[in-house]
Amino acid sequence: MTRVIAVALNTFKETIRDRVLLVVVLFALAMIIASLWLASISLGQQGRLMIDFGLVAVTAFGVLVAVFVAASLLHKEIEKRTVFILFSKPVGRAEFIWGKFAGLCATMLIVVMGMGIFLFLLTWLVTGMVSGWLLAASALIYLQVLVVMAVTIFFSTFASAILASVLGICVFAAGQLSHNVLSLTRLGHSVVLKGLSWVVFVIVPNLSAVDLKAAAVGEAAPRWSQVASWGGYLVAYMVIALVLASLVFRRREF
Amino acid sequence: MESSGSAAAAVSVEGLKKTVAVGFRRRKVEILRGVDLLVREGDVFGLLGPNGAGKTTTLKIALGLMRPSAGSVELGVRGRQAVGYLPENAYFYDYLSGRELLIFCGRLFGLSRAERTERAARLLVEVGLEKAADTQLRKYSKGMLQRIGIAQALINDPRLVFLDEPMTGLDPIGRVEVKRIIQRLGEQGKTVLFNSHILADVAELCSRIAIMRAGQVIWTGTVDEARPTHGATLEDFFMEVVTA
Repeated sequence: MTRVIAVALNTFKETIRDRVLLVVVLFALAMIIASLWLASISLGQQGRLMIDFGLVAVTAFGVLVAVFVAASLLHKEIEKRTVFILFSKPVGRAEFIWGKFAGLCATMLIVVMGMGIFLFLLTWLVTGMVSGWLLAASALIYLQVLVVMAVTIFFSTFASAILASVLGICVFAAGQLSHNVLSLTRLGHSVVLKGLSWVVFVIVPNLSAVDLKAAAVGEAAPRWSQVASWGGYLVAYMVIALVLASLVFRRREF
Repeated sequence: MESSGSAAAAVSVEGLKKTVAVGFRRRKVEILRGVDLLVREGDVFGLLGPNGAGKTTTLKIALGLMRPSAGSVELGVRGRQAVGYLPENAYFYDYLSGRELLIFCGRLFGLSRAERTERAARLLVEVGLEKAADTQLRKYSKGMLQRIGIAQALINDPRLVFLDEPMTGLDPIGRVEVKRIIQRLGEQGKTVLFNSHILADVAELCSRIAIMRAGQVIWTGTVDEARPTHGATLEDFFMEVVTA
């Protein structure tokens, strides 16, 4: 556990001291502020538009940062040969993967929740009222980001950084749609299509199940028990992705 | 510095082979073709050979960074807890300071906070980097990086130290400093196994040497055995053995 914490702390320092990350986060905050302009041209929907646009910005930037950082973390260690320093010491491959993930979780907590809290305060300042669902929606965006990050780390154990990034983004996009694919095939009669859509539904994480954007803008909120069970499913998905990543990475030679 | 012939084995390599598949057609290339090597405890051992001889691969297999295709490597210490390693052309986390790197490495060995802080401070003095301790590694010169590399290899107070080309790319001052560190390790009774192309340094530092060529050890013995006649240099002997 000490070694996992050591790798996590080092990863956190590496990512948080990266100026590119700072620039991206500042840009994301600027986008959230830009939602003020959009809100000003809406008719009586100022708060709703701000939250809607803001949460999309939090999701998009959160996922982009997570995917690109997660995809490059392992490759950087291998290309710059810092893995020699790590694995000549009593550090296991699984400890390395979990440490990297934990460090990135800490960084993304600051990035995603920082943007979420910023949006919350901005909405409150502009409209004078804001729902707690906005923070809950940000927390579940964070969970979605962690799942995409775990999957991207898994891809990066055998694919190049660019390919891992592309696959990570594809999984995120498919995760937003997998539920719809299942619903659409129910309308038809093809057994093959139904079977295939179930396979897709099982393999691709159902990220849309924990999307609380609608509740954050005042629409019907899902039951907490439902959100909790889908949250548990995503955590299990994340753990499986990281276990697979550790198994694949164990076979790597340097 | 000469170790006794009856000293226990610190590194024992037997029939070590390594084959890798390269290119699109996965052509098999034999990097190691049956390496046999014995390094005794307390030796400062030089592993010599031209580029591509298999020196680095041998070290990597000994450290578990690569798997052997056949044969075995046994270390006289248990696990990697008592092993230190400086890779060739080492790159370190350049966003860390020298002190942070040593503390991070100490943490990987499970040292307590007090231990790693004390050892980091002592090693920074030993390698002459106490003034640059809190400077980020991206601002270090090549010689300073090599010295912090040696310091990180020693943070766990290892009994066995592997140094891969520790003198490469250093200016004369840097070379002298690194040589002094290796000498000190030998005086402390640690086993040092290092690769180098700088034969004058090897002659000065090592008790025993092995010469590798094309994935095999072709000669092993003491430095004195390699220079039997007065005035003969290790370079002459090396050329004679390698080109034979």
